[in-house]
Amino acid sequence: MYWVSVITEAGIFAILALGLDVIWGWGGDFDLAFYGYLALGSYLTFVLTIGKPTPPVQYILGFHLPVLLSILLAVVVVVGLAAVIGAIALRNLRDIYFAVTTLGAVSALYLLVENYTPLFDGYNGVYGLINPGQTALNLTYNGYRIVFLGVVLVLLVLAYLLVQRLSRSPFGRMLRAVREDERAAAAYGRPVFGAKYRAYLFGAALAGLTGGLFAIFISAFNPSAWTPQELLVIYAAILVGGRGNPRGVILGVFVVYIGFIELTRYLPSPASRPDFAPAARQILIGLMIILMLRFRPEGLFRERPGLDRGPVPPAPAAAPASQRAAALPGLTSEERARREGDASKAARRRAGKTERVGKTE
Amino acid sequence: MTTFFVSIGIGLSTAAILSLSAVAFTLEYAVSRIANFAHGEFLTIGAYAAYSGQTIFHQNVAAAAVIAAAAGAAAGLALNFGLIEQFRGRSAITVFIATLGVAIIVENVLIIIYGAANVTYGFGQGKLHHVGPFLWTTSDIEVIISALAVAGIIYLLLQRTRFGKAVRAISQDRALAQVSGIPARRIIMQTWALAGAVAGFAGFVLADTVGTFGPTLGFGFLLLTITATVAGGLGRPYATFGGALIVGLAIQIAGTYTSSAYQLVFAFLLLVLLMLFRPNGVFVRRSAVAVRA
Amino acid sequence: MSALLEIENLTKSFGGVHAVRSCTFSVPEGQVTGLIGPNGAGKSTVVDLVSGFGQPDSGSVTFAGQPLAGKRPDVISRLGLIRTFQTPREWRNLTVMDNVLLARRRFASESLWRSLTRARRIRREEEADRAAVRDILERFQLAELRNELAVRLSGGQKRLLEFARIAAAEARLIILDEPMGGVNPVLGARIGEAVRQFAAEGRAVVVVEHNLPFIENTCHQVVVMDLGEVIAQGPFSGLRDNPRVVDAYLGMDQSHE
Repeated sequence: MYWVSVITEAGIFAILALGLDVIWGWGGDFDLAFYGYLALGSYLTFVLTIGKPTPPVQYILGFHLPVLLSILLAVVVVVGLAAVIGAIALRNLRDIYFAVTTLGAVSALYLLVENYTPLFDGYNGVYGLINPGQTALNLTYNGYRIVFLGVVLVLLVLAYLLVQRLSRSPFGRMLRAVREDERAAAAYGRPVFGAKYRAYLFGAALAGLTGGLFAIFISAFNPSAWTPQELLVIYAAILVGGRGNPRGVILGVFVVYIGFIELTRYLPSPASRPDFAPAARQILIGLMIILMLRFRPEGLFRERPGLDRGPVPPAPAAAPASQRAAALPGLTSEERARREGDASKAARRRAGKTERVGKTE
Repeated sequence: MTTFFVSIGIGLSTAAILSLSAVAFTLEYAVSRIANFAHGEFLTIGAYAAYSGQTIFHQNVAAAAVIAAAAGAAAGLALNFGLIEQFRGRSAITVFIATLGVAIIVENVLIIIYGAANVTYGFGQGKLHHVGPFLWTTSDIEVIISALAVAGIIYLLLQRTRFGKAVRAISQDRALAQVSGIPARRIIMQTWALAGAVAGFAGFVLADTVGTFGPTLGFGFLLLTITATVAGGLGRPYATFGGALIVGLAIQIAGTYTSSAYQLVFAFLLLVLLMLFRPNGVFVRRSAVAVRA
Repeated sequence: MSALLEIENLTKSFGGVHAVRSCTFSVPEGQVTGLIGPNGAGKSTVVDLVSGFGQPDSGSVTFAGQPLAGKRPDVISRLGLIRTFQTPREWRNLTVMDNVLLARRRFASESLWRSLTRARRIRREEEADRAAVRDILERFQLAELRNELAVRLSGGQKRLLEFARIAAAEARLIILDEPMGGVNPVLGARIGEAVRQFAAEGRAVVVVEHNLPFIENTCHQVVVMDLGEVIAQGPFSGLRDNPRVVDAYLGMDQSHE
């Protein structure tokens, strides 16, 4: 049952990481507000499902909706918040300015939630969503947990297919072009803000969804579950797995999350220092981020562009003589094959060790 | 009316500490062109160094301050060698993320060494004084005076010494400065030591003012520091004092009329507004970076 | 031959510097128009203003009868205007194929929603574009490299990639900002051919260049700027006798004498 729990949590974070990868890996925007969307999604799922609060507990809303509907509504609201923050931050700001602005926005939100208790009961947070629908489905506690794991994995696969499809699509291509060079993208008619904005909302929607899943998973949510650490773990996972590569991102999450938890589980925690193990884990995460950035910023799995598998047109032997004089002389098929191989080899040699170069690093 | 001025007084005291942290941050940015997200850790390290130093120097405030500054300077040098130089040539956002990694590491190392619980110095705050319309403790006065002193020292350094001229040259164009014979690496190293020292001192002062502190001291103060720096203008040390003043007063006034818990909310909203409309500082008119598309 | 692009009294200052002053000229379709002048004459500023990467202080730019004032660069581009930048800008971490495909500008298929729901149909529709792009790549000798990341190309190949993109874009007006920068004579000949080909297809081409032999060989008419103003317009042969032009270019004309 321990493993069920660990893999469920990893699966939820994997979906979260897929969303963040769209914003950061494909779009190139280092968003620090992202975990706030998960938090809001969680909070809303709670207050829409667990009914009215009994004093002294207090929170807004407090409906008794079926949990699936709650999650859906939570996602809608989260996307609404992202629409506001994105409209502010994405229009004119990039890089550090963008990162700091999102950090400011989410910090303000965090403090508001922590201090304005009528919202979500401040520091106490909300709790009480324990295995919604368990009795209706006639499951034991453990049975529910296993079924929930299955649901999470199915959702993960769906999210992966969706994101993969988007990655190979014209939208994905355009978003990456905008990331690589905004001026050129604008010169070719691409709406730079529009592209990044749409990606931002898509990522936030996934974050809202995972917020709902997370709510079911841990049955409580309060500000202590909402720390910058969590977001850094996700970023570290994306860095390790491979920015812009959905498969890599999922693998990165599982490696970083499960690997780290398991690794540090066996670290001794002296009685006088109960914080040792979690602190050690954070140190490793920090080290991992720095090392990956320094030595392999593209991650274990590089972003793989869709390759063109069509037939190369035959040499223009049939073209009229004047056009042939304009282009270079035509090639026989042996020459062509040799050239293709040589050209690739020359290009690779020129690129040297670094596979991926560019202003994003 | 008295409350208003008392408020302003507290705001000035806050602004003083903020200005120390902010000027250090802006020096780091000026000379290396990066936003150092581990900057808060310089403050935390300074604070803890003074705490450890207490076992030797007990109630000697001056000694504690010196230790804090020294520790901060060491941290600044270490970060420069260990990280900034390693990431030279990489994009600013990459280095930014790397400093974030450093911040996590430092914070958790401190947790391991000192534990996560809050600690305290036990220096007294001193008596209350009436200085004109303001109401300050001895500590407050010392803080404000030291902030002014540091401001003065930095001004003299930047304007009157060759070091200062070199720093200004490098902050405008590193390559050009190097070509003109300025030993850029050495100057940058020294600037980081200076910024670290100021930040370490600021951390000590902050911890003393706040009373009890924990490993998240500096990180929590970081966003305020960034707000003050942006308000003044990234990389402009004198304007940064103005920015710190604005931010310190603004949040204090806001906190008095709403509730002190929301001070920081107001500060962060101020940051967002600044980023939107005056990313180059309140005193400059120009908008930032993206393509209009 | 109607004028596709009309520029009238365009003016722009940066701080106290008059980068462009009452600049007026027109660009007809089916011809290559050169834009020359010493450094600081304002040529690149004019290009930026026309393509939307800057707003003029006064004056007007009309493209196919439509005023371009205040429009964003991507909006202007969609009207059928393509420009290059002084340093070749390719999308480095995309493949050569993707780089040129993006020039086809099928904006409708780039909607997030449609990319998700109509993926198969979009892929089918894209096949026609892909075939056309492969032909273009073949023309510019880049077909073998179509699956390579653009960053791995040599400098000359990147220039060719830029022209492949322009060819794929099928724009009505093409502005080339110093296309011959750092280009060897063989590549230069290819570029000249490509430019003439664009004009032959009925497009309007503007070439900003310092390389005067290139201008002489490709341009039907030339606009000369100096210190922000247009000082002469007309066929290249006429310029040599124009005292103002000779003055501005004193010492720069190396191809004759």
